[in-house]
Amino acid sequence: MSLSLIYHFQSSQNQDGVFRPASYKVVYFFSSEGFLDQNMLQELSKSIPEADHKTVSFLNLDDLKHFALRVCQELDLPEVRLISVQDYNIGIDGAKDLESYQTILTKFGELVLNESATKKRNFFGKLFT
Amino acid sequence: MSYLEDTSQKLDTVRPGEQWFLYWKTSASLWESRITQFPAHQIIFIPINWGFHAEMASTWDFGKYHPEKDLGRLAQLLTHHGRKFCWILPLTPAPFLPNGGVPVSAAKTLSISRDGIHLAALDHENKLNKMFSYFEPKVFQTFVHFATALKDFFQEVKIKAPIWGANFCYTEGKESISYFEDYSFAFEQGFSRYLKQNSPQGVDLTQTSEEEKLKEIFSESGFELFKSTAAETFASQWMGVQTISVLGSSPRDTIERALTGGKPQAKFFEDLFQLYVNERWVSSCLLTMDEKKDLLPKVLQEHFGSEAIAHRYKYQSYGGELDEAFRPFSLMDIIDSDNSYFTQVGLIPYLDKHYRWMYNLQCNIDFTTEWIESHHQRVKFFSGKHLDRTRFGQMLKLFMMGQKVVLDKNGLSVELERRLQVFFHENNLKLQTINYVSMINICELGEGRLVTYEGDKLLNHENTYKFWNHLFKYFSLNQPELTLDQDVFILWRIRATSPYELNYLDVRRINLYNPTSYKKTVTIKTQQHFAFMKLIDPEHAQAKSNPHGVDVELLPNGKIALDFGHYEETK
Repeated sequence: MSLSLIYHFQSSQNQDGVFRPASYKVVYFFSSEGFLDQNMLQELSKSIPEADHKTVSFLNLDDLKHFALRVCQELDLPEVRLISVQDYNIGIDGAKDLESYQTILTKFGELVLNESATKKRNFFGKLFT
Repeated sequence: MSYLEDTSQKLDTVRPGEQWFLYWKTSASLWESRITQFPAHQIIFIPINWGFHAEMASTWDFGKYHPEKDLGRLAQLLTHHGRKFCWILPLTPAPFLPNGGVPVSAAKTLSISRDGIHLAALDHENKLNKMFSYFEPKVFQTFVHFATALKDFFQEVKIKAPIWGANFCYTEGKESISYFEDYSFAFEQGFSRYLKQNSPQGVDLTQTSEEEKLKEIFSESGFELFKSTAAETFASQWMGVQTISVLGSSPRDTIERALTGGKPQAKFFEDLFQLYVNERWVSSCLLTMDEKKDLLPKVLQEHFGSEAIAHRYKYQSYGGELDEAFRPFSLMDIIDSDNSYFTQVGLIPYLDKHYRWMYNLQCNIDFTTEWIESHHQRVKFFSGKHLDRTRFGQMLKLFMMGQKVVLDKNGLSVELERRLQVFFHENNLKLQTINYVSMINICELGEGRLVTYEGDKLLNHENTYKFWNHLFKYFSLNQPELTLDQDVFILWRIRATSPYELNYLDVRRINLYNPTSYKKTVTIKTQQHFAFMKLIDPEHAQAKSNPHGVDVELLPNGKIALDFGHYEETK
């Protein structure tokens, strides 16, 4: 099982007199089994000090990657795929059916590895080979 | 194996549910046999796949070149077999059609959701249908051309069947979003032209909220343009617009349906029941065989089946008095264009706890005799924030007719506040005032009740729950009390008593569903107002009555219905 998230870059906004800086918002975060619980994501986003925990948004891509990795570690999963909305849309352009659509979710974007989970796997891998 | 036998074993792509007939999904030579598969009393709905009729740019084929596009023959067959039917004309992208229905020549810009992703939906054959923006000027031009050609064709072959416009929607969270909504480049360009045209002196868009408001107005006016064009073109055949939410069609659904686990049945139930509360119509046409199994087809049949469809499309109407047939039963109408307000003041969370799926959220009301009479017993909530003079007048009329009305005065305009005071004075109405959390005024006139309160006092107040509890005690709404496990879904219906049930005022039926793979329990307390009468069609479920009510056990995919007689309280 692996994780994927789709994120959207939002430019800065002036909402009712309050300035909101540009941010990377997590739109969807899911594993092959389904969507992750939003409350859990909001809670884990607190590990990134400058994140907007309510909307699960981050000031830069590095923070977003740290957050994704933090979720990966929490669930003890080996990797997480970060798919930008632009990448997703390019995939949609070319997809025709379920199979080609699934390729977007499993092949597009940037893969971030959870080293700790990978090490565990290597350890078990040695045991069983 | 014959074709007919074959379709009974597999998902029926031509008749995907809700009495729809997708004529382009089968050979024209099979139309007749497929039409006769519909029970004779059912109205048949025929969505128009307008992209399918595009022959070349500005040429439309309604049967001249290809028999499978011959709408004249289709109408003839339906008439020959004595079937009632009507057409459904998409006024938005339709997720069950390739390109959302837009002809290839006009499909230029893909629609984009508010989160920036291209709108696309997986259909029941696992094909990916991409939605194209209706803000592309070419789409409107093509639509006008198509509508005119279709009207001419209908006149030529003398087809007079009614036409409904469809506003197709998807559900994301608790929100229903129209497929017309779009944030693509085509929308932005259109918005820019709109601003130049309507505010040549320029507009200050430094505030995001101001820009959002203007975009919403622009988007609504775009939809109005399609709607009014269709209404004018089809004139006497035009019936109005139905908002149809297509199950499994949201961007989130598309992702979830593509994952190994798929979208669980309980989540489809959540969407379906939320749509029921919102009085939205549904289509299950996108769901695959795997998704449309177990309890889902049963709940669709029982609560969104042919009788509900006949009412929805105004072929039948509920009278003011109950009759021998069960009808949907709700206790409250929340009438407001923005329901999030009633969530903030704690009303909707209170109802979700005590009267789950027993209220309706209505953006607008049909202030007709039928609506007034059939909704007579419901308590009606209005928000002062969004009341105009017309709605305000309707609210007072309902009170004068003996109905129960609750007005949240937060945001009520000075003019309407003055009119309210004049109304009390002119009718010599006395007010009882209670100060609990907010200043509550109660006015009684015969059976009518008018309660006003200041909703701003409820925002973030620790006693909000108690406030609503007191208010509902005042209304004394008789209803069995339920204790439900999570993910058990229920709907109530009501009917008049038969000559053998004269001890009762009415009979109420509760349908209970457990779409999960866990055992669930439900306790129903009859509260000295109801008597358990019988249980109906238990499947993987059992019920045991006790002196206080009924205990129900629902196994995975279990369902059951229970009837209760409602009697007057013995004092």
